[in-house]
Formats: sequence, structure tokens, C-alpha cells
Amino acid sequence: MMLPPSMVMNTIIGASLAAVVCSMIGVFIVRMNLSSMGFCMSHAAFAGAALGLAISRDPFVLALGMATAVALVLGPVADKARLQADVVLGTMFSLTMALALLFLSIVPGSVVSSTALSVLWGSVLGITTTDLIRLLVLMLALLVVIFLFYKEFFAIMLDRKLAEESGINTKPFYYAILFLCGVTVSVSLKLIGGLLIFALMVNPVSAAYQFSHDMKCIMLISPIIGLASSISGIAASLYFDIPVGSSIAIMSVAIFLVSVSLSPKRRRGQRC
Amino acid sequence: MLIRLENVHTFYDGERNSTLKDITLSIGTGEMVCVMGPNGAGKTTLLETINGILPSTGRVEVFGRDARKHGHDIRKYIGYMLQAKTFPEDTPYLVRDVVLMGRFGKIGILRRPGRDDWNAAREAARFMEVDHLWDRPIGKLSGGQTQRVLLARLLAKRPRILLLDEPYSNLDCRAVEEVSKKICTLHTRNELTTIMVIHDTAHVPEICDRIILLKDGRLIGDAHPDDMLFSRTFRDAFAEA
Ligand SMILES: Nc1ncnc2c1ncn2[C@@H]1O[C@H](COP(=O)(O)OP(=O)(O)OP(=O)(O)O)[C@@H](O)[C@H]1O
Ligand SMILES: [Mg+2]
Repeated sequence: MMLPPSMVMNTIIGASLAAVVCSMIGVFIVRMNLSSMGFCMSHAAFAGAALGLAISRDPFVLALGMATAVALVLGPVADKARLQADVVLGTMFSLTMALALLFLSIVPGSVVSSTALSVLWGSVLGITTTDLIRLLVLMLALLVVIFLFYKEFFAIMLDRKLAEESGINTKPFYYAILFLCGVTVSVSLKLIGGLLIFALMVNPVSAAYQFSHDMKCIMLISPIIGLASSISGIAASLYFDIPVGSSIAIMSVAIFLVSVSLSPKRRRGQRC
Repeated sequence: MLIRLENVHTFYDGERNSTLKDITLSIGTGEMVCVMGPNGAGKTTLLETINGILPSTGRVEVFGRDARKHGHDIRKYIGYMLQAKTFPEDTPYLVRDVVLMGRFGKIGILRRPGRDDWNAAREAARFMEVDHLWDRPIGKLSGGQTQRVLLARLLAKRPRILLLDEPYSNLDCRAVEEVSKKICTLHTRNELTTIMVIHDTAHVPEICDRIILLKDGRLIGDAHPDDMLFSRTFRDAFAEA
């Protein structure tokens, strides 16, 4: 693949940042069974983009807006309905999907729908400097929030009821977690697409689980594994001339499988 | 009175009738109270009402404050042990973190656990004799070990009230005696107020001041163990309706 070096650089930095951000958030997703977050949020963004095209406004701004809105109502709805957040994500998914189709039907045309669909797939090769800055800001914001409220998040991830027992008001933190997950998906979406987000949220964390029983370690290792997946994925993509997205996804699965086989957890007579 | 309930009805969401029905009850500082009654009588519901977790009508005051409005504050001083709490085998948390977490509410938002917090956690673990499990994953303990760790967790908080929901359910007979002795020691030494749900009359500690008897959400008896355990009310409560 012949690409200008600046574009390759943007791709490498963008994919790496996205990988770190997704695998940081992935720890929450995996521990709290929120795996539907990926496709729900990507379709919320898809619906937003479709709406933007229907009323001729910037599709990406509306994509972000729609996903943020869904992320905001997620926690309160889950609490009110007394359902697992993942179930509510499923419900929201059907809503956003239906809305997307509805908006697309308002302004028919293959160009329009393919623009909207591009939100779903993302394009690692089209990463601009603005995108990089947006990702960087998101990463810093996540780091600050997790650092400040580490204790509360740590306790809620173990068990919300036990966290309440210790005197923590879990509600705002629980909602914040859901919100941050949603925002992370929607910001990363344009760059790496729904498929890759899903891979980068779940696979590095699953790999990290193979090496530790300690949540603190898992929170530290996951972004590192995410970064490794993305860098090795880009390298493989340049070397074998295959699409970057698939290459990173495949690498993250490969790293997960290697971790499973190396895992000290499944060896006898070993303390871990 | 440290704990005061007046005409309390506790409702679960979506239920037509209240689960606790018109409970009026006062418990003073330093009292050791056992709660007994058949399965489904409302014992757990009573503890959670006092702990301000469940919505209720009537007056629920702990430390003179409304337990429902100031739930998070009062819970910093109440050690509540959930009934039969266990963790799946792959839970990625270590015993030391689970014990320390008991203090998180007390430490407060935007602050980190310091040396004092770790010391309190360690001391609680030593007291419950689980400090050898300190670095083990919580999901890999036996039922009885988990129970001791959870007790250590709420002791780490240095609470003023203990609400224990069947603290002996997973313990072998020797462990029951040990843990019971520890709870009593702590109760007396720290001048705690203890409310404990138990099923076995043999588990009523010697220092128990009162037994509260619940059935179908109503308080049907409240007396000293010597009077309660041999009473007709007590026998009838467990008889077929
Ligand atoms: N979440 C809930 N929603 C609705 N009803 C509930 C709920 N939890 C408990 N109940 C009902 O409230 C009643 C009292 O339950 P509770 O758990 O307080 O009983 P208990 O005395 O602790 O019983 P056990 O000895 O089995 O622990 C029961 O009839 C139960 O079915
Ligand atoms: Mg119970």
C-alpha cells in the first residue's frame, strides 16, 4: 500500500489512541456485561448521521449528539425498568436502528445512505488532525475521571449493592460509567468503526483477564494490550497489504488466544 | 434511642401490599437484638429498612436522622452483612481490596485510602482470622471464608451499628462458636448496637438482650430470650398456619 507518510502517521496515532481509549473503557464493559454498548451506540450514531443528512446538517455532529443522548438516558432507564443495562441497550438498539431507517427514507438516495453508513464502518485511513485531538481529549478526560473517582468505580464494578452498603452513593457513578462508555464509542466510531470498537473493547480486556485476578492490574494491562493489538495490527496491514481495520481486529483476537494459552490461571500448582 | 421505627410499612416495587406491616420498634445504644421468624417473614426486609436501602412509610430514624434521606451518611457507620453473599469464581478482586472497600464510603469522595484505612482493614482481617487470605482472589474462597471476609469488611469500617443477616449460615459448628465469640467481644468492647438475624435458637448469644419475632411482615413478639424462646408465641410462629 502506498500512502503518504503523514497519513500513515495519522493512522498509527489515531488507531493507537482509539485502542487505548476503547480498552480502558472495555474494562467496565466486560466487567459489567455491557457488550451491547458497541452496536447500540454505533447505531445511535448512524441514526444521528441519517438525521443530519435528512435535515441537511453536519452528520457527524448529529451522530455524536444522538449517541450522547442515548448514553445519557441509559442509566436512568435501566434503573427505572429494573433491568440489566445490557437489556436496555438492546431496546435502544432497535429504536436507533428504526430511527435511522426512518430518517434515511426521508431523503432517499444511495449517496446519502452510503454517507450515513460510513459512520458505522469508520475509516482509519481518513483520520484528520482534528480527529486526533478529539481522541486525545477523550483519553485525557477518561484518565482524569477514572483517577479522581477510581475508588467508587472500583467498588461499583465489584458489586453495586456492596458499594451502597459501604456508604457510596452509586447512582451518579453508575450513570457516569454508562455515559462514558457511550461517548467513547461514539467518538471512536468515525475513526475505527463499530466492528473494530467492539474488538478493541472486549479482546484486550479478555486477554488481560488471563493474567490477573486483580482488577487494578487488569485496568493497567488492558490499555497496554490494546495498544499492542493496534500497533501490531497496523504493522501487519502494511506488511501484508490488508485493510487496517481487519488487521487490528485479527491481531487483538490473536493476542487473546495467545494469552489464553499462556495464562498462569490454568496451570496447576501455581499461585497467581 | 439509636434506632427508632414508628408505624413503618416497607414496600417492594410492584407489590400491592407492604411487606413490613406497621412495625414500631426502638433499639437503644449497646443493645444486642436477635431477629427471628420463619422464611419470608421479613427479617432481611427489616434490616434493609433500617439501613435505608428500601423505600418505606412511617418514621425510620437512625442516629436521630431519617434513614431514607440520609442513607449514604448513616451507612458510613452501619456495618450491614448481606445474607449469603458469594462471589463467582472468576471475580477479579483480591480479599484485601474487598476488606478495604468497606471503608470507601467513610473515606469520602475524591480522597484516597491512606495508611489508617489499610491498617483498619488489616486489623479487621486479623480479627476475623482471614489475614492469611489477604492476597487471594475473593471468588476462590470457601463459603465460610467468604463470610469471615465480609465480616472483616464491615468491621474495617469501624461501625457503630452491626446489622448481620444470618452471619452463621455458612460456618461449621466450631466456626460458629468462634465467630459468635468475636461478635460478642466486639459488641461489648466497642459498645456497638447489634441486630442479628438467626434461625437456630442455639445461636442466640448469651449477651442477647432481646429477641424480636417477625411473621408475615408483622412484629409479633419482642422479649428477653429467656421469656421468648419458651413462649407459646415463639412456638406458634413456626407452626403450620
Ligand atoms: N425484591 C422483592 N420484591 C418483592 N417482594 C420481595 C422482595 N424481596 C423479598 N420479598 C418478599 O418479602 C417477604 C419478606 O422477605 P425477606 O427476604 O425479608 O424474608 P426473610 O425473613 O429474610 O426470609 P429468609 O429467612 O428466607 O431470609 C417475602 O414474602 C418475600 O417474598
Ligand atoms: Mg432473609
